Amino acid sequence: MTAVRPSAVLIVDDDPFIRRLIATTLEDVAGFELIQAADGEEALELADQNKPRIVFLDVDMPKLNGLDACRALRERDDLAGTRIVMLTAGVQHERAAHDAGADLFLTKPFSPLDLLRLVDELAS
Amino acid sequence: MEVTQRERVLEEELAALRARITEVEAQAAAKEQQLERYAADLRETFKQERERSAQLRDSYITTVRALANAVEARDAYTGKHAERVAAYGLSLARALGSRLADDPEIEFGFLLHDIGKVAVPDAILYKPEPLTEPERHLMERHTVIGVQILRGVDFLGEAKAVVRSHHERWDGKGYPDGLAREEIPLAARVFAVADTLDALTTDRPYRPASPLCASREIINSLTGTQFDPTVVEAFGEVPDDELEGIRTEIQ
Repeated sequence: MTAVRPSAVLIVDDDPFIRRLIATTLEDVAGFELIQAADGEEALELADQNKPRIVFLDVDMPKLNGLDACRALRERDDLAGTRIVMLTAGVQHERAAHDAGADLFLTKPFSPLDLLRLVDELAS
Repeated sequence: MEVTQRERVLEEELAALRARITEVEAQAAAKEQQLERYAADLRETFKQERERSAQLRDSYITTVRALANAVEARDAYTGKHAERVAAYGLSLARALGSRLADDPEIEFGFLLHDIGKVAVPDAILYKPEPLTEPERHLMERHTVIGVQILRGVDFLGEAKAVVRSHHERWDGKGYPDGLAREEIPLAARVFAVADTLDALTTDRPYRPASPLCASREIINSLTGTQFDPTVVEAFGEVPDDELEGIRTEIQ
């Protein structure tokens, strides 16, 4: 098993509004260190640096889209303990997200309560 | 020819702009939906929270009432004394224009004022003859014992001041601390009048109840000695039918 950092959470979305919404929702969850990236390339870079326990990954992003970023993350041995939550716009992405190696989906518009429950589950 | 070409270019630009507008509108709509989702959850969470806190308040007040009933179960003739005194006390607090009336802790204090009596032996509590000095001393301890009983109950807050000081007198001749005037917590000064009113207007084995107007006179005669004059004045403003209503409804 690899050493991911249980407190690190990486939020990846090209829309700063969504990043901020997720960050605000998780801000009060004790002990989390929230890291944000705006595209797939930046996501890979920050994931390598921070070894996050959880990654929230948007599908449709510039430079490197979420599915490709997800596959790239899955190839990294030191991130084997990372749980990837794909932010999808509907069921049409779920199959592709699953094939790319995502653990879970969160469909937009998502409920903050579901988000919190999901994080609780993943963190424990 | 030139004009049509320019028109075509403009139309293309216009179409591109329209497409961009549609795209931006779709993004805005998605954001709005997302925010709506948050707002809906927030409303629902608040609603549940309010319901939970109402249930909690209910369980506090019923627990406090049960405790007050436990004290009174020993004392057949006072009946629902604590509940009536609490109602009189709240009426008085409202007449005083005091914020006390909005404070649930104060009602708890009114209800539990005599809780310390559980530690007073029956032989003293029900002794028909006048108490001896040591017996009187023991009886007076019910105020202090009451506070000890409630020591760990945080939600009672100011209620404990009523339990401790409900036998203090305006002139300083009360117990257990011999406090005088404004040294006595306001809630306890209000309580003292309410307590006497209930004692006077209920039947006792050794005497019948006094009518309300006679009870008012007795209380007025004790202003400035036993009672805070401001509280007695406020008591004068509480209409008869309000007090009669409490007396007949809580029996």
